Amino acid sequence: MSNNTSKVIANNKDMANNTTNTSSKMPEYFESRGETAPKEQTVAEFLGDDKLRESSTDRRDFLKFLGFSVAAATLAACEAPVIKAIPYVNKPENVVPGEATWYASTYYDGSSYASILVKTREGRPIFIKGNADYGMTAGAINPQIAASVLSLYDSERLKNPLASGAESTWSAIDSKITDSLNRIKANNGKIVIFSNSIASPSTLAVIEDFKKSFSSVEGTSNVELVQYDAVSYNGIRKANEASFAMNVIPDYDFSKAETIVSVGADFLNGWLLSNVYSKQYGAGRNPKSGKMSKHIQFEANLSLTGSNADFRGMVKPSQYPAVLAAIAEGVGAGSVSGVDTSAVKNNAALKEAIKSLLASKGKSLVVCGSNDVSLQIITNKINHTLGCYTETINLNNPIQMFNSEDDKVEKLVNDIIAGKGPQGIIFYGANPVYTLPNGAALAKALAKTELTVSLASWADETASVCKFIAPDLHALESWNDYNPRKNHYAIAQPTIKPIHNTASAQESLLVWAGVAKRAGRESKVYFDYISALWEKEGFTRQTKYADFYTFWSKSVHDSVVEMPADAATSPAFVASLSGLPIKKVSGSGNFEIELYTKSSIGTGIHAANPWLQEMPDPLTKVTWDNYVTMNLKDAEAAGYNRKMDQEHGASVVTIKAGNVTFDLPVIPTPGQMQGTIGIALGYGRAENGEKIGKAAFKTKEYGGYEMNDANVRQSIGQNAYRLTSFVGGALMFDAIATLTKADGTYPIAMTQTQRTAMGRNSITKETTLDIFNKKQKEAYNPPHLVESVEGPQSIHDITLWKEHPVENVGHRWGMSIDLNSCIGCGSCLIACQSENNVPVVGKDEVRRGREMHWLRLDRYFKSENEVAIGLNKKGIEDKYLEDNIEDNPTVFFMPMMCQHCNHAPCETVCPVAATTHSNEGLNQMVYNRCIGTRYCANNCPYKVRRFNWFNYPSYKKFTEINPSQDELGRMVLNPDVVVRTRGVMEKCSFCVQKVQAGKLVAKKESRPVKDGDVTTACQEVCPTNAIVVGDWNDPSSAVRSLSSEKRSYQALEELGVKPNVWYQLKVRNADNKELEKAQVVEEAVAHFLKHNEENH
Amino acid sequence: MKITMNQLFSKPSNWIIGLLAFVCVTTTSSSWSANGEELFKTNCAACHKPLENSTGPKLQGVRQKWEDGGALEGSIYQWVHDWQVAAAKDPYAMAVSKLKPDAMSKFPTLTVDDINSIFDYVDAYKAPAVATTDVATTGAEGQAEEGSGVWIWLILGAVFVVVILSIGGIKRQLSSAIAEEENKPAGESKTYGGELRAWAWKNRTYVGIGGFVVFVGIIVALIFALLEVGVYHNYQPSQVIEFNHTIHAGINKIDCKYCHNTVEKSRTAGIPTVNVCMNCHKGISGRDDAQKAKIAKIYDAAGFNPETGMYSGVTHPLIWNKVHNLQDFVYFNHSQHVVVGGVDCKQCHGDMAKEKTARVMPVAELSAIEGNIPLHQETLTMGWCIECHSQKEISNGPTNTIGSGYYNEIHNRLLKYDKELYQKYLADDKVTVEELGGWECAKCHY
Repeated sequence: MSNNTSKVIANNKDMANNTTNTSSKMPEYFESRGETAPKEQTVAEFLGDDKLRESSTDRRDFLKFLGFSVAAATLAACEAPVIKAIPYVNKPENVVPGEATWYASTYYDGSSYASILVKTREGRPIFIKGNADYGMTAGAINPQIAASVLSLYDSERLKNPLASGAESTWSAIDSKITDSLNRIKANNGKIVIFSNSIASPSTLAVIEDFKKSFSSVEGTSNVELVQYDAVSYNGIRKANEASFAMNVIPDYDFSKAETIVSVGADFLNGWLLSNVYSKQYGAGRNPKSGKMSKHIQFEANLSLTGSNADFRGMVKPSQYPAVLAAIAEGVGAGSVSGVDTSAVKNNAALKEAIKSLLASKGKSLVVCGSNDVSLQIITNKINHTLGCYTETINLNNPIQMFNSEDDKVEKLVNDIIAGKGPQGIIFYGANPVYTLPNGAALAKALAKTELTVSLASWADETASVCKFIAPDLHALESWNDYNPRKNHYAIAQPTIKPIHNTASAQESLLVWAGVAKRAGRESKVYFDYISALWEKEGFTRQTKYADFYTFWSKSVHDSVVEMPADAATSPAFVASLSGLPIKKVSGSGNFEIELYTKSSIGTGIHAANPWLQEMPDPLTKVTWDNYVTMNLKDAEAAGYNRKMDQEHGASVVTIKAGNVTFDLPVIPTPGQMQGTIGIALGYGRAENGEKIGKAAFKTKEYGGYEMNDANVRQSIGQNAYRLTSFVGGALMFDAIATLTKADGTYPIAMTQTQRTAMGRNSITKETTLDIFNKKQKEAYNPPHLVESVEGPQSIHDITLWKEHPVENVGHRWGMSIDLNSCIGCGSCLIACQSENNVPVVGKDEVRRGREMHWLRLDRYFKSENEVAIGLNKKGIEDKYLEDNIEDNPTVFFMPMMCQHCNHAPCETVCPVAATTHSNEGLNQMVYNRCIGTRYCANNCPYKVRRFNWFNYPSYKKFTEINPSQDELGRMVLNPDVVVRTRGVMEKCSFCVQKVQAGKLVAKKESRPVKDGDVTTACQEVCPTNAIVVGDWNDPSSAVRSLSSEKRSYQALEELGVKPNVWYQLKVRNADNKELEKAQVVEEAVAHFLKHNEENH
Repeated sequence: MKITMNQLFSKPSNWIIGLLAFVCVTTTSSSWSANGEELFKTNCAACHKPLENSTGPKLQGVRQKWEDGGALEGSIYQWVHDWQVAAAKDPYAMAVSKLKPDAMSKFPTLTVDDINSIFDYVDAYKAPAVATTDVATTGAEGQAEEGSGVWIWLILGAVFVVVILSIGGIKRQLSSAIAEEENKPAGESKTYGGELRAWAWKNRTYVGIGGFVVFVGIIVALIFALLEVGVYHNYQPSQVIEFNHTIHAGINKIDCKYCHNTVEKSRTAGIPTVNVCMNCHKGISGRDDAQKAKIAKIYDAAGFNPETGMYSGVTHPLIWNKVHNLQDFVYFNHSQHVVVGGVDCKQCHGDMAKEKTARVMPVAELSAIEGNIPLHQETLTMGWCIECHSQKEISNGPTNTIGSGYYNEIHNRLLKYDKELYQKYLADDKVTVEELGGWECAKCHY
């Protein structure tokens, strides 16, 4: 395995050496900070360039030329530039130039699924949000779905079919592939379609047709479909088979669960339909009614789900069986033989879990993230004993995705490697060379296979070793249908004509099967196929519509056809808990590894998406990198850097697990179980420099790629799929490894280096459900008081400033963010980037603190000095104590963007009035006035202003990463928002373009603005509806009523800047005796309240 | 915009055109029965033209053509009643029915006399004389008159200089005469320049101050002059088709919104797409060669063959030169102004009924147009926008006008919560766009 990281370090060292050797010659131009100019140099030396002396141009001539060119430029500027305008020849009926057209469609990439709305402008898709009106996802998406629109415009996407790596034509590859297939059929050979989970009924029908065409003389087909997911959930299916004789993944409902117990399942980020579960979870977390769900999480890594839990038990992955066995025993589901529960018996979270599950019998849900069928059987038994199968789990309405069959995949891959494999393999949606533990061996073996075809859109790891690539359309270019859950059907419609010479995978299969003919870019082959199938299967099953055309139009319009769900029943539990074979990962070492997927990169499909690469991990805040998460104490004991910033890099470790060895930097992460580490999947893609997209590779400090010795682009991070293993026919996502310290440090780009709120109670506020229910508001959400001659006064009553006339007059745009609903997924961040043309700046710039995100997600861990995040313990006065983070801290997520202060400190310091206040309460930014003094950024207490240090759309440093430097990538820009140039400030505008558009709709319809007219991009994609935007001056608006809620507060309220953003403080459904003691109505507050009462 | 008779006949050239047109009309109208014309226009003109092929073939001489072609007698009338019946009976009619794919409508109610009178009208029809109207040539004489004023000043200036110089010469001679008389050395007969320098040196304080003032004045004047430089002043780029607005919007009175049809829906008014042109130009191919050449470009763009009336499916977009250019950092929305603000097109674009190809009309011309708010800042500059915003009133008309439901709410909030502010707005008896936020930066810049 290559040792990429240490090479970088070596380079850095060389640079350091350079700085000590002062070279006497002036470098032609500075390429890096390693180069230096001589300290002293005479003018003669400086001008001593021979070329200069040879020149016939003397100083006077030079001035003449200068004068002439200035005059010429001035004259030229007097000519009006000619700008072309090219209207449509025949305008499509549903396109209004200048106005967005929205299409309802469906997103599915093998791991995420959502009903979406795609915004197109003049035929270009530019923004994706969830479809809140239709579909089982109810508008919930995740960052990957929001960012997927960018991949449509990836310039490395295949433009033509490929034969043996060279561009070819469809007719050429079709005839060759058909010949091969027929030859294999004639020899009675085997053909395998190696695909990711197929959720499309039409695609399955196409594969059936394909099978029929290549069935042998006896009638048995030579074609086999093998479905394989990179992250497998086969264990759940098998467990349900064993428990209830139903090979299904059931439909979970987290909104109905009063107690949620998760053992290693990151159900808010990546686990099954996590976007759907996020929405359901958020619905159960509003304490307004006095009740909210209780969430207990057991895990080794601090996951996004775990960081939202009320109770969190830190356990090693090898202890998951013990945790489940102890719960099973505790709730009376029987004991699991052969599992020693003594190590976890005394875990506080475990006791809480058992107590809570028993207290809310039936209204509870236990989920487990392991792919081990035995653990899933124990989970089923617990849920069955508690009576969940009629309440929170529905086995009769199962999810029809995640069909991976691990044992079949293992056998197939071993067969291929052993040379006994099928003669023909067609890859569709799967990238096993990258995602399988034995992917490298598979790649070698594939070269010997008679026919290998990939239907991938990129020449990825698997596709590039195939003989033929028949590039599939991008999802936004193609028709498709889905059946993600029983009784739930969905349609994906194209939102743009195919950009390149590509064809839908289904069409390719039909053509090779001899069922259809190629029809070029205007092809309707697969569309006709789907509509015919829907006419036959779908139309006949409904009674609402009398003719197919109406039914079909309605289906496409909604993108969803839903039939009544089958009611949940609780079948008999037929498995036994005794003698369950618990799978153990082999290997030896000092650390257990838990592999996980990030909310940004996921399983790795989107590794080339610069938006997602630059999206900070919600917990570590690291961008552009893969790393090891390690407990702080472990890191300290091994002498790894605990603190890292622009100057200090991360320590590097060598990970050795079996015969896999690679280096990764270490990020000490609070909440990581001691003795375990976490590594994200999805990185280390395209190790041989395959063309999977420009942003998937490491770039140099001043532009260009970092190359290895073979002059191949270096991938970002390491491929952690190599650490997975097949154990007893199941793909396991944990491993055991030995970690040793490697030399040097590795630069890390983090958007937030501080970890705690340092007792700043005016930024973060939280309480417990108990306090919230029992005590008055002033106890947990006290007003900010200022001492005056008249006694304590509210900060709202004292101000140096003249009142800004926005209250009650006209509009006053406000935002409310519910910190209890916010799960920290980061969808808002990507949506903001997509809507507002926010540039991508790359790792090096992020390291300098120059990220451009208008919206950031602040994350705070609880310190040992605090009773709750932001609230210091009594007696700890110094707020700037070193952050002694707890070993298993609670976490606080806080979306932070421009607060649109009515008394904005930025506005008063701008020397050119480039930032001003609107009479609708918006803090406006006038880019063409801004001269870049950055006084405003200095004066902003929220640090939300961003400065354009470079011309990101054209400077060479950003060529590889910034989509707007790409002819195609530029297509994703929102034409309603200007692309900022170098030297100006920018920041959240509350999506002022959408505010204006919303008002215009109301004006045209001659009615007042109402809730829903004005939305921001972040609000539109929030899966838990944590963000609410509206007109505060409208007494009936949601934001108005939220602003006066008991939980409502404003960040840094004591500054008196009067923001237009309200936060709803976080309520944990946990016990915190210390907090109960701390959150009482203080004397001064009580006095103030009394005084106020007397006055009114 | 309608052209009133006054406007039309305000100039002698237009009198001639009018006279010509009258003569044309009177001479041609005498030779056919009025009934034929009326019948032709109500029944046939949608598809047929007298002199050229349209959707249907040209009709002049069609009776003779059928006769010459050997059609059965009366067959042509039967054809008009029901072409299928005629085609079934008459082999000539059968042949005609196969010439074009478009089927003809049936006219069973027309009598033979009616049909004959139509043919009479068509056969007697003559193309009207082509009158190239050129309305927008006003102001040439006015400019010449204005120019004469400059000459007077120049002559006056020259006289003034001569007077000054002669006085100076006299003074010199006098002073040298005095010097001679006083027997002072006359050698230092100074040059004009030398004398000036001496004088300047003697009064150097005043000359210095004066010089400084003049210098500053020149600089200021220069800056103001540079500010006046407008590359879009009267900008009228050439176009792929020299589209004549006078004919379309002026003579034919086509509504601006018929072609610029997204003006009420979108931020852009929309450059007409070729399919919109083809709505009319499928049948109108031009009278003279110049017009025909222009319209042929539309046919080429649409992939339309006027001979066969068929579309080839091969299209070429027309590439226009954009006239009204706003910088990228400005957001302007047509629908906001036209629908909600009720702004007439002519406020910003001028009276296009009198224009040929589009141009950025200078602000002076815009302000002169009847009904426009007079403005002073150059067209399409920010000053121009905000000047209008400071004057344009928010409609306080009847409640059924567009946008009133929205503004009523704003109005009510003012009345309810801040009457003082409302009174301040009403100090000049009107609530302007500016007062409701029309000068806010983020209304246009984001």
